[in-house]
Amino acid sequence: MEKMERRQFIKLGIFSTAGVLIGSFFAFADNEKKLEVKSYNDLLNYDWGYIVDTSRCIGCGACVRACKMENNVPDNYFRTWVERYEINKDEKIRVDSPKGAIESFKENNFPASEIVKAFFVPKLCNHCYDSPCVQVCPVGASYHSPDKVVLIDKEHCVGCGYCVQACPYSCRYINQEKGTADKCTFCYHRIHKGLAPACVNACPRNARLYGNLKDPESKIRKVLNQRKYGLLKAELGTNPKCYYLELDMEIK
Amino acid sequence: MKNKKHIIIFFCVVLIIIIIGVIAGKITRPKSYGEHGNYRYNAVEELQNQKIINQDIITCSECHKEIYQLHEKDAHYNVPCVDCHGPGDLHTQYHQGGEGSGNISKEQAAMQKEYKFEGCLYCHRKLKAKPFDFPQVDKNEHYKFLNVTNPETKCIECHSPHEPVFLLTDARQARLHPVVYKCTDCHEQKPEKSHRDVPGHPSIFECRDCHSQVVKDFNDRSHHNYVDCRTCHLYHRENETTGRIYKNGNAKFCLLCHEKKPFKDEKYPPKIEWSTHIGNPDIVSKGDAKICLNCHVDKIHKMDLLVKADPHPENWKSIHRETARQNLSVCMNCHTMNQCYSCHMKNKPASHNFNWRKQHSKIAAGNKSSCEICHRKDGCFSCHKTEMPHPKDWQEKHKDFISKNGKTICNNCHKEEFCKQCH
Repeated sequence: MEKMERRQFIKLGIFSTAGVLIGSFFAFADNEKKLEVKSYNDLLNYDWGYIVDTSRCIGCGACVRACKMENNVPDNYFRTWVERYEINKDEKIRVDSPKGAIESFKENNFPASEIVKAFFVPKLCNHCYDSPCVQVCPVGASYHSPDKVVLIDKEHCVGCGYCVQACPYSCRYINQEKGTADKCTFCYHRIHKGLAPACVNACPRNARLYGNLKDPESKIRKVLNQRKYGLLKAELGTNPKCYYLELDMEIK
Repeated sequence: MKNKKHIIIFFCVVLIIIIIGVIAGKITRPKSYGEHGNYRYNAVEELQNQKIINQDIITCSECHKEIYQLHEKDAHYNVPCVDCHGPGDLHTQYHQGGEGSGNISKEQAAMQKEYKFEGCLYCHRKLKAKPFDFPQVDKNEHYKFLNVTNPETKCIECHSPHEPVFLLTDARQARLHPVVYKCTDCHEQKPEKSHRDVPGHPSIFECRDCHSQVVKDFNDRSHHNYVDCRTCHLYHRENETTGRIYKNGNAKFCLLCHEKKPFKDEKYPPKIEWSTHIGNPDIVSKGDAKICLNCHVDKIHKMDLLVKADPHPENWKSIHRETARQNLSVCMNCHTMNQCYSCHMKNKPASHNFNWRKQHSKIAAGNKSSCEICHRKDGCFSCHKTEMPHPKDWQEKHKDFISKNGKTICNNCHKEEFCKQCH
């Protein structure tokens, strides 16, 4: 009897492990089917660029609201925001962005008759080619994707905040709910499905434009060929690829 | 040997630590890390699967065709649906069906509909930082102009958000037009003096510079005391020199001012109640957008004057020199400097190159008017000493001609052997 029991026990053991193995194989196979993504070689055909036309922006904040919705950005943090620059007769400069302009702007900061020059500047991550935030990450959670977008691997980010300090454009923040760094992704989930990023989609004045810099026929390349543009803090050597049309000297 | 034992033990320990390190690294290293650089490649794929929240206008247009077509036609054509109605992810999921649509309640799927007063002002509040060509509203001024008595009145009481200014033709079809200024574009308040009376004022382009007859006619009629050209002919600047004139004259556009509404002042401007005003409904032929103009055209200006005409006076050729000297920038609104050069070249025009002697006969034979711009006084005669092409009785006349002027003048065009063909 004793021998039989042992044999039964071994048999049971073998069958159950085989069952678990086969079951797990199917489970993994299902997981892989779910992902519908572009292959690495496809991604190499892209280099996403961005254009902001400061002369067209009206500071309505539609982009800020759309970005909040799309990416579930926590309150008081912004992946994109709009700044207002006002210069008065005495050459005093006032820059403000109340709540990132999520509820637009209310009043002029100087009396209307004294303002000699004023304009809006939308800001977002510049997705630099030589980004300082990627260089400082100690765990390799911040990286350049194959199509040159600066992204964060949220599973491996430890939330140390080095990258937040390294970014000269203050485009990163620490997401308190998840305990990781967070930033603009160019709406990575949208651009590869042929949709414009949420902020471009929401802009009522075509002040924002995105496109593939590697495609010579793309609209973004044509605009860059025709118009004059500038870069933010170009002297830092970060090589940003957010191009600002009609960039004023005061914009920092 | 005995002395070196501790060295061997030390190296063994180091080796074991390295081996353990490598194995631990392989086990703990995430899958796909280092495949294409120092990052986990799977993270890129995970990010691509994030859920899409904001819908684009094409998705909306699939169901809401009519409202989409209306929206495309008018001045708000560039404003995407999400700006006023919210992102719409639950709405599309609920109505398209599919996975997870059962969990969404009808309330969750409903879109934002009525937009608050504040919502319109996100874009249209008057601020110095906005581009001045963008339509901006100071609420107090706007209500004063329209005599709105109730300050709580919402924008949507008069303006339909999908069709805010009731354009007669598609906004995208609006014609390009040289830039037209109003005094208030630059000045805070309308100045008392005309810009023509101010010495040194930069010359600007006004409606009456070209459409003199229309403006003159308009100034004789009642409307001119209250509105100006750009109140109805909405103008949208595109860059320094050009913009677009939106075509208007739509009945609904007239009603923006002239419809009776409880929040408006009763007396001024004259108001009607749409249902009682048109007593005989047969007058309203279906789809006639310009119905107000059928009767009230005399209040505005004569419509037949709108036919495009030459804006310059008859004696323009003789007086344009003075005008151009004083106000060249006004000319430049329509013309280019090249057009000046085509007549006023000090040297020969570019077409008169080394080949010109051979070619010009063909061009001159077709149409001499372009030659006459410069060679006005005696035309061909100044070189050829005779009419060109040769008159019909040249065979008889040419003997006299040669005895008078010599043979050399013939050699300009004909070779010497040419005579030998007959003689």
